[in-house]
Amino acid sequence: MKVKRNEPIAFSILIISIAFLVSLIVIVLPVYKIFEQAFQKGFSGYWNALVDLELLSSLRLSLIVMAIVVTINTIFGLAAAWYVTRFGKRIRGLLEVLLELPFSVSPVVAGMIFILLFGSSGFLGSFLKDSNVQIIFALPGVILATTFVTLPFVAKELIPLMDELGTEMEEAAIVLGANGWHMFTRITLPSIKWGLIHGIIMCTARSMGEFGAVSVVSGHIRGQTVTMPLHIEILYNEYEFVASFAAATILGIAAFAATVFKILVSRAQKNQLRKS
Amino acid sequence: MQIEVNSLSKSFGEFQALKNVTLDIPHGELVALLGPSGCGKTTLLRIIAGLEFADSGEIKFDGSSVETLKPAKRKVGFVFQHYALFRHMSVFENISFGLQIKKKKERPAPEEIVREVNNLLQLVQLDRLGDRYPHELSGGQRQRVALARALAVKPQVLLLDEPFGALDAKVRKDLRRWLRKLHDEMHITSLFVTHDQEEALEVSDKVVLMNSGKIEQYASPEEVYRNPASPFVFHFLGTVNLFHARPQAEGTQENNRASTAYVRPHEIEIDIQPLEPNNPVAEIVFLQATGPVARLEIKDLLSAQVIDVEMNTDRIRELGIKKGSNVYYRVKNMKFFEEDFVI
Repeated sequence: MKVKRNEPIAFSILIISIAFLVSLIVIVLPVYKIFEQAFQKGFSGYWNALVDLELLSSLRLSLIVMAIVVTINTIFGLAAAWYVTRFGKRIRGLLEVLLELPFSVSPVVAGMIFILLFGSSGFLGSFLKDSNVQIIFALPGVILATTFVTLPFVAKELIPLMDELGTEMEEAAIVLGANGWHMFTRITLPSIKWGLIHGIIMCTARSMGEFGAVSVVSGHIRGQTVTMPLHIEILYNEYEFVASFAAATILGIAAFAATVFKILVSRAQKNQLRKS
Repeated sequence: MQIEVNSLSKSFGEFQALKNVTLDIPHGELVALLGPSGCGKTTLLRIIAGLEFADSGEIKFDGSSVETLKPAKRKVGFVFQHYALFRHMSVFENISFGLQIKKKKERPAPEEIVREVNNLLQLVQLDRLGDRYPHELSGGQRQRVALARALAVKPQVLLLDEPFGALDAKVRKDLRRWLRKLHDEMHITSLFVTHDQEEALEVSDKVVLMNSGKIEQYASPEEVYRNPASPFVFHFLGTVNLFHARPQAEGTQENNRASTAYVRPHEIEIDIQPLEPNNPVAEIVFLQATGPVARLEIKDLLSAQVIDVEMNTDRIRELGIKKGSNVYYRVKNMKFFEEDFVI
């Protein structure tokens, strides 16, 4: 149904132009520039930059960190949402505030927190040194920092969903003889799966791209603690523009894939909602 | 299965949902838990099911305590107010859920499960709907799926929480008669919660009337209606007229405390001539005679009290009375309660 609107045409054009202009400057041009720079020396230049060993090792590290962080976050998110919506009415407010922190605190500050906690002169520093455990400037530090930054994604997605789901279906399963595992895998999980997938995608995208917090705790040890975003910065600072932007295209493509996937999931979720 | 509830109490924080409730439900009866919202009826049902735990008191099934038993081990079937069907499962999968999750040793063979579910589908008159999903069913159909699902695990006790609460009036009536019929065929001890007095009186063998965590009366529908044990029961089961008086009649009151006479609208008789000497006079201020039973409001000319009356519509025509007419009235039957009750 078409509704006749009364705004003057000039006004509509102005509004639409602003939207186009902003997205052009902020999104389209930068992305175009990334690819332009990456392919400055042709496809072979691009390819050579990509197969560089250090870049591949940073990609590998990023993927490892991502896999671990997403796993931790999924388990944490499920557990937290479950607890808060089913039992922990009292700590709910506290947890919801805590889940805001990673969004409001600057990632660099988040990184600093871990240095203060686990660094050699930090709170637990001497203890860790004695027991020969390296957290800062090592993989555990990178994982911790990334986990902190991405902690809310799954939990915040699931809490409203599990509120809406209520407890009746779960109680029905219990009365019918289901144990906790049956109830979770056959009733709860299928009901929240779209939201969970949504949260996991967001968490994946963010953990691949995290720069600030990781930069503080990583120590930039090449081939060991340098993730993809850090490697891009290193290359850029060394004036290796083709290599730097070639690496950036990988993150760009990954982000784009995540976005497309996210849209598909939202659609599937809407279809399911329409049904119920 | 016979159910015995012994001095059960339960609080949620400050709120006392159940206060020392004792109840004995004989085997095979269909009992209604009736009362206004917040009276504790759903809490009682959930404690019997094992979904909630009492602060004190005990519950026995056939004489043995079920306190430590999980819901499934109590062999109860529970039908939830909003059906609680598993949205992502078909009707067939919903009904077979209780059988599918049994341990391998106890689980019936797949063919056996199919046969049992088909029997249940037939029982609840949904033969061809096994492949449908809950969102494709009407409210009444969903309710029957929920019932079939509860029956699939062969419960000894069937508990229903406001089973018809979310349905429209017509479906509700059909479904409650159907439930009565089903109960007469299966004879499972059944307990259902409702706040609808008509539903409770029509369907059940016995009614438990509850108010603010306590049982006000536990008796047959006829008994609670004819002989209410308390002013609350009187009020809850329909319209009632109150006459404040100090009864002079012998036997009604030993002491001389102020008491109130409770009179149902149909227990007031009106006529154009005095039926007895000293019958009071009233004016008809409202008259609705659309059905076989007419509803009237009459205003006593002396006390100005407005009284609800129900009488045969034909009788009104015989008397030739209408709104504005003056009539004599007489109370055929009344019950006295002391005036310490505040509604």
